[in-house]
Amino acid sequence: MKILLTKWSAIAKDSINRAAIVAKFLCLLHVTNTYIFSPTLVYGPSMLPTLNLTGDVLLSEYVSHRLGKVGPGDVVLVQSPENPRKMITKRVVGMEGEVVSFLVDPGHSDRSRTVVVPKGHVWIQGDNIYASNDSRNFGPIPYGLIQGKVLCRVWPLDGFGSL
Amino acid sequence: MLPTFNLTNELVLLERISTRNGKAGSGDVVILQSPENPRKLVTKRIIGMEGDKITYIVDPKNSDRTETVIVPKGHVWVQGDNIYNSYDSRNFGPVPYGLLKGKIWPSSAFGSIGKRPETVDPALKVLEQTNQS
Repeated sequence: MKILLTKWSAIAKDSINRAAIVAKFLCLLHVTNTYIFSPTLVYGPSMLPTLNLTGDVLLSEYVSHRLGKVGPGDVVLVQSPENPRKMITKRVVGMEGEVVSFLVDPGHSDRSRTVVVPKGHVWIQGDNIYASNDSRNFGPIPYGLIQGKVLCRVWPLDGFGSL
Repeated sequence: MLPTFNLTNELVLLERISTRNGKAGSGDVVILQSPENPRKLVTKRIIGMEGDKITYIVDPKNSDRTETVIVPKGHVWVQGDNIYNSYDSRNFGPVPYGLLKGKIWPSSAFGSIGKRPETVDPALKVLEQTNQS
């Protein structure tokens, strides 16, 4: 009886140790995916030709925007100001204080407007200006809505590398 | 945010689930990232959600002029309880819902943050009492 008990306690101890290793790994994976970097699936026509219509897997990192290192030319993931549950991918065109000139309706007219980006805001535009709902429609967005910066494309493999 | 919170430091409990689920509504005291300085967190009360019509006094210390706005889609209108000394949506406009980071909790239990206090001038109340007596 006593031998059986010690055998079971050894198995129990071993399984608890293994479960602890798995739990620690999952915690590390969660922290990395949320706060450091993770792969992200993006789709839509607004960033053609940089990103495909049907979907790309990009490696995005979540550290730069907390340090204030996001600048013009970066492709960023932002929370949409019109729908907080939606994440959109656009390129930063201007930071606070910069003057941005843009075509109001490029498919139909040549009219352009110039705005100064207010303090604490950024101006984002999709690369495909003919089919993009961006700052030309909803205005400059507060910097706090930026959630991450895109580093490189991971899938499809023939497009692997920086954008 | 007088008189709801003190002028000096005050410790409150912040819950972050409501703002993620979209359950934060009018009357809640929330913590949000300032749209003018992303490194700063400010505490304000939500006055209106998207689609609401807000009428506010533009400059309560100097004039009685009011303005009316409709809160756009995806945005909220926030104001401090102390409208005489608060830098809020009357200055920087409606803020996107995504900037809300958490709700002060509990809203009606101990500490009783509760509803927005009346903004009637206390001198007026004293005048009414002396007139009646």
